[in-house]
Amino acid sequence: MASLEIKRIAKTFGAQSVLPGISLEVPDKEFVVILGPSGCGKSTLLRIVAGLEIASAGSVSFGGAPVDHLSPGQRNVAMVFQNYALYPHLSVAANIGFGLRRATLSRKEKRAAVQEIARLLEIESLLDRRPSELSGGQRQRVAMGRAIIRKPAVFLFDEPLSNLDARLRLQMRAEIRALHRKLPTTTLYVTHDQVEAMTMADRVVVMREGRIEQIGTPDEIYCAPQSIFVAQFIGMPAMNIVSARLDRSNSALTIAGERFAMPEFWPDEKALDGEVTLGLRPEHLSLSRTGAGLRANVDQIEPMGSETLVYLYHHGTRLCARTPPETRLASGSEVKLGLNLNRAVLFDPVTQKALYRPNPYESTTGETQWK
Amino acid sequence: MVRSRGERLSDIAVYLAMALLALVFLLPILWLLSLALRTQAEVFLGAARFIPEAPTLDNFASVLRDGGFQSYIWNTVKLSALGAAGAVGFAAPAAYAFSRFSFRGKGAMMLGILSVQMVSGLVILIPLYRMLDRLGLLESHFGTTLLYIAAGVPVTIWLLKIAFDTIPQSLDDAAAIDGLSRLESFLLITLPLAAPGLISAFILNLILNWSQFLIPFIMLSADEKWPISVAIFRFAGASSAATTQLLAAACLLAILPALAVFVILQRWILAALMAGAVKD
Repeated sequence: MASLEIKRIAKTFGAQSVLPGISLEVPDKEFVVILGPSGCGKSTLLRIVAGLEIASAGSVSFGGAPVDHLSPGQRNVAMVFQNYALYPHLSVAANIGFGLRRATLSRKEKRAAVQEIARLLEIESLLDRRPSELSGGQRQRVAMGRAIIRKPAVFLFDEPLSNLDARLRLQMRAEIRALHRKLPTTTLYVTHDQVEAMTMADRVVVMREGRIEQIGTPDEIYCAPQSIFVAQFIGMPAMNIVSARLDRSNSALTIAGERFAMPEFWPDEKALDGEVTLGLRPEHLSLSRTGAGLRANVDQIEPMGSETLVYLYHHGTRLCARTPPETRLASGSEVKLGLNLNRAVLFDPVTQKALYRPNPYESTTGETQWK
Repeated sequence: MVRSRGERLSDIAVYLAMALLALVFLLPILWLLSLALRTQAEVFLGAARFIPEAPTLDNFASVLRDGGFQSYIWNTVKLSALGAAGAVGFAAPAAYAFSRFSFRGKGAMMLGILSVQMVSGLVILIPLYRMLDRLGLLESHFGTTLLYIAAGVPVTIWLLKIAFDTIPQSLDDAAAIDGLSRLESFLLITLPLAAPGLISAFILNLILNWSQFLIPFIMLSADEKWPISVAIFRFAGASSAATTQLLAAACLLAILPALAVFVILQRWILAALMAGAVKD
């Protein structure tokens, strides 16, 4: 059990800089998911924490003590790999018990420890098998067993679910969370799957090109993204991005000549005036045949069963609205788009950073307001 | 599948060429067999009678009973096996380094190792002889084995590097996290998993060493130390036609073990190599 501190970690491979200098603090027992597109440096960061990769600069500490000079084995970390990395020539029991080789336990105690882990993960009946005789989900469990048996200070996951099919992934997600509840351990979990990040994390770290774009709870990341990158990377489909003009003196937001009332609680800051980029989640757009709103043309609809996604064009900008499942609209038909500006995020069109973000924990009361 | 006339013709041509090639290699062996089955009287008929009228296995029996032959075969087994084991033993750590570490000049070194293989043994024979003379290693099985190893190491490094490359790097990572040192991870994880590759490399070396002639020929002058290849050559040079049928039988018996190893293990080697190629 330990907190994890990453201080200005940098990594270059030859002339290529993968991590320019990243800092991150993970309190004891927290489950942090590092999320980012492939090649953003998230796996490299994880490998540096594990000690499998040497950082070019910076320092990693567990519980306040630097571990940079320690080998992976001495760091007391455990890692679950994407391809499980089970030893194919050893039985399941030997795989799980492998990490205890160095421990000063008797043979009997080790066997008892393996049994206990197997019981916890419900793989007792598999202990004598070889990894090649196991299904993907079973291998995943053995890999976790091998990791937790040593009671590591820090638990590292490197895209552990990406080799599983969708149904199994759903199940293992819940199991990993349940395991973390049972054995609360500081956890760093790397993935490119936003669903994993949203469902599992206490906090999410969104990375892009070796830098941290945002750190926050899943709600903050989803509802109050700090940049257009995060807004569009998180959410399926992504956040809608529209150019707008804000005029605070008239409390008006104008989108392509259409005027909307500015929510009163938007801050009274001069920096907001002028050209802004508006970000709205698909669920904050509503459709109507007549009435006020942005005029848009239906491009295509995607009935998902529980909802219907409607893709539209508004002045060449492609937008998406999340609508009730029974919505059926012909391609090309014209509709009016209502905007729930209470949930909108405002970005600076130049820096792409957020100028205003709604509080994710405040319920949305107001419906679309028209002027 | 309907095959065109042209395809069939080309098939026939291929088979003809292969049959011709097989004949070139088989004829001397058939000739040996013919000689080995003859009585002394028939040997003098030469090529005029390819299939002996009174075939006999006496020649094989007397060769097998001969104490000298037994000791030559034993010497061959010893030199081949030790040489093969040594080559695999020395090549494995080098191959591991080439497979797992990145360092300057890696590609050039791999090519350099391969190019050693292209130098004929004859070219370096005299310097090699003088060097081993200085070291006092002439006339010994120890020195001879060292040369067998040196001859086998380059190609074995390549074979083993390919074998190690198929073992996922993440297993090294997992072993490191489980607290293993590089050496432990090499011994406990990589080597056991590369067993099929190690065994095929060993067998390949064994077969190559079995037919090794040049090295023992210059290294060993004492009769009791010769492997079978050298012994047969010496006897062929020294003996009269009266022993031709015995020599032929000895030759066939000398080829047999290498042939047997190859035929029996060929499928197994192939299966082992294929196992690494397919992800499970």
